[in-house]
Amino acid sequence: MSKIDVQKFLPLKTQWFHIMLSLAGGEQHGYGIMQDVLDRTDGKVRLWPASLYGSIKRLIEAELIEESNVRPAPELDDARRRYYRLTALGKRVLDAECERLQELVRAIRVKRGMVTE
Amino acid sequence: MNFAVRIYRWLAQAFPHEFKLSYGAEVTQLGEDVVEDIAKRHGVTGLIRLVADIAMRIPLEYLSEMRHDLRYALRVLIKSPGFASVGIISMGIGMGLTTMVYNSKWQLIFRELPAAANAKRLVMPERPVSYYYIEQYREQKSLFTGIAAFQIGIPFNISFPGEVNAKPKRVFGQLVSPDYFSVLGVQPQRGRALSAELDKPGDAPVVVISDRFWRDRLNSSPAAVGQTLRVNGQPATIVGITPKNFNGALSRYPAELFVPITAPAAIAPELANDVLHRRHAKEFLAMICLAPGVTIESAEAALDAITRRLDAQDPLRPLRVDQDRRVTLLSAGGMTPIPRNVRPAIGGFFIVLMGLIMTIVCLNLTNILLARQANRRKELAIRLAVGASRFRLVRQMMSEGILLSLLGGVAGFVLAFELAVLRSKFTPPTAIPEESNFIPDWHAAVFAFALAVLCGIGFSLAPALRATKTDLTPALKEGSALRLTGYGRFGLRNLLMVTQVAGSLMLLLITGFLVIGISRTSSVQTRFDPRTMYLLSIDPVRDGYTPEKAQVLFEKLPERLKTAGVASSVALAAQAPFSSANEDDAIRLIAENSRVQISAIEETVGAGYFAALSEPILAGREFVDLDQRTQADGSKALPAILNESAARGFFGNGNAIGERFRDDKQSYEVVGVVRDLRKELGISRSVIYIPLTRRNFARPPANGMTMMVRPIARMDAGTDALSGIRREMASIDPDLAIFNVRTLNAYLELSRRAERPRSIRSRRCASNSADTAATSAPVITVSLWALCRPIPSKRQQM
Repeated sequence: MSKIDVQKFLPLKTQWFHIMLSLAGGEQHGYGIMQDVLDRTDGKVRLWPASLYGSIKRLIEAELIEESNVRPAPELDDARRRYYRLTALGKRVLDAECERLQELVRAIRVKRGMVTE
Repeated sequence: MNFAVRIYRWLAQAFPHEFKLSYGAEVTQLGEDVVEDIAKRHGVTGLIRLVADIAMRIPLEYLSEMRHDLRYALRVLIKSPGFASVGIISMGIGMGLTTMVYNSKWQLIFRELPAAANAKRLVMPERPVSYYYIEQYREQKSLFTGIAAFQIGIPFNISFPGEVNAKPKRVFGQLVSPDYFSVLGVQPQRGRALSAELDKPGDAPVVVISDRFWRDRLNSSPAAVGQTLRVNGQPATIVGITPKNFNGALSRYPAELFVPITAPAAIAPELANDVLHRRHAKEFLAMICLAPGVTIESAEAALDAITRRLDAQDPLRPLRVDQDRRVTLLSAGGMTPIPRNVRPAIGGFFIVLMGLIMTIVCLNLTNILLARQANRRKELAIRLAVGASRFRLVRQMMSEGILLSLLGGVAGFVLAFELAVLRSKFTPPTAIPEESNFIPDWHAAVFAFALAVLCGIGFSLAPALRATKTDLTPALKEGSALRLTGYGRFGLRNLLMVTQVAGSLMLLLITGFLVIGISRTSSVQTRFDPRTMYLLSIDPVRDGYTPEKAQVLFEKLPERLKTAGVASSVALAAQAPFSSANEDDAIRLIAENSRVQISAIEETVGAGYFAALSEPILAGREFVDLDQRTQADGSKALPAILNESAARGFFGNGNAIGERFRDDKQSYEVVGVVRDLRKELGISRSVIYIPLTRRNFARPPANGMTMMVRPIARMDAGTDALSGIRREMASIDPDLAIFNVRTLNAYLELSRRAERPRSIRSRRCASNSADTAATSAPVITVSLWALCRPIPSKRQQM
């Protein structure tokens, strides 16, 4: 896919970013995503269940994530849950978003005089 | 917590079918898994948040599906352009006409008077009354918070002080009592309104101008208030500007100028002859603001009682013992006052007309959709077979209907807009400028949108339900080759067709009747080429002439034009020839000898009128200059000419010449008989012609005095003839304003398109909508054409 396709998703919606970031580490189910986000943000960001699945549906429609057939080891697997993972496009979009955010942080630091360039 | 979980589960069931199928179980499970943690961390607030999250998600998911449906529907429509164009065109025509009816008629009748705070409490007597009576009505302070007196359609010749040598402009306004604005509840946008405290008789003349006058004629000058105008040659100061959109009471007849009745008669000749104090001068309309809680019925009863008492006290008035109401109140808070018993009928008529047009369009589309469903039977069967819910498919198909309808609605609104713009270019030849064309505004757009959604649901519901009630096995096997259901004797399709044909025929009949109704003006037969006669209007009194000077001018003008060699015949009249009249204008006449009564239309015409029209006098003679000097004060019989219908009505086949008849003011003696000049619906009306007298010269009617001029043959056509006449008139008085210049032919053409509103009653509202009904013919055509088309599935088989 072309570069333009990646750019049209940016900036990512906050919820989408958190979900995709959680999936960057590998396949994850809804509950896992929710917990991951909670842990990562010290409980500051909570993805509420209905909103989470609403976002998952749209991310799948946008082909940024997909359902995964690969399941974890049987002792860790929860048979009731479905697992999701990033698509190739999703990975590129996430990378681009991270790059964009880093640029922003750099710009903020320069402005505040934290670093000189 | 359990309670929250129960609500959560219950709400999770409300998600749209497809979402539920994919994520329903997971959403429920995740909710149940986290509820304990949430309760622990966030307490009750967290539980509320959990429930609110799912509650807000549900409509969003439905909207998202709807968006998908509409996108799919758009693809379907693009794939079948034939169906889409038939649908959009027929819907567009139907919606366009309906929006036009709604916009022009509905708003005219039911919309409140703009900028009038008291609109809901305003009523007015149907007939004009004398100012004396209005003053007596004002005593009833418990019933009315105010009663204003006014006259509409008063012409004023206006000139601006800065303009040197410019001809005065003729504008129409109202003569109003100083409390007019407070009775209506209208606040000026600049300056002050007229008021009973500030505007007294004998004060320096003041006027209030309309917003339109301010914008169009004063270029929205900020210094307008305080500026002095010359009104009919007299200086008057502008003291206020009315709010935007306010065109006066009875805003169908827009007023640009509001002159108080305290002004001197030089500014408004209508105020001459002590009209404010003569109890018989029934020349004012009354605008009444009812006190809170007073019903129109009780106000009418009270006014009727006062009127009867005042009538009984009148020594000159013959004793009447009639039981009829002498005062009928109309609710006057709208754009046109209409009797309240007529209101439901008119409203009902429009609803039926609009409903009928839209029903035919919807039935037509339903029929097409029903036929189309055969082609899509296999597609639907497959979707049903793989688990799509019936409700989902119905919604999908209805989205197609609504999308089609919305596209038709946009086309319809554009059509209504264009028609309104087109119609506003045809100004009817009314005595008073009339505003009956309204460019569709946001009200009409909202109406069109709501109608489109409603129709979309209306015409697609039945086909959608039918299409999804399919027996899967044969549908999957045979697809579109399957025989369509609904062809039984009482099947849906047959019923629809019968209704559609019946509706179309009814609409055609209504159209027919209404078109016949308005074509009555077209039966005028002149004895000469109407292109060879010019009609010109002049109004010397409003150019500053005294009544005496005006009379001299009118007497010498015809002769002057003839001797100057520019005109072969010239005649004067108070109205244009062959003009139509409302039944409301008919007067009762009684023959003095036989006591036979007839009702007739009165026309006031000058010497040589029939000669100018090349009309032979069947018996007796035509009016001469001497007749114009008769005193029309009731002391002496006025000469009168009857048309054949009136003569026959009075005197049968006997000789009418020398016979006398009278109305309630005046006695007349028949001096001549002419043929019936105009027929309406093949029927001639009784007309009496009376001579122009000093009274008419002193106070010409609203559209001035009409001069009928036939140029001499050698300079017959074109501008030469006209410029000759203009030059000659300018040589008599260069300041005399000449207006409404046109050929008789042009006037007759315009008359055919619109009738003259002389009456404030909107009895003819229904016939006004004939044009609408007539233009509904395309709907019928498209509808019947679609009916005759072969069913698509059958055609494909061939």
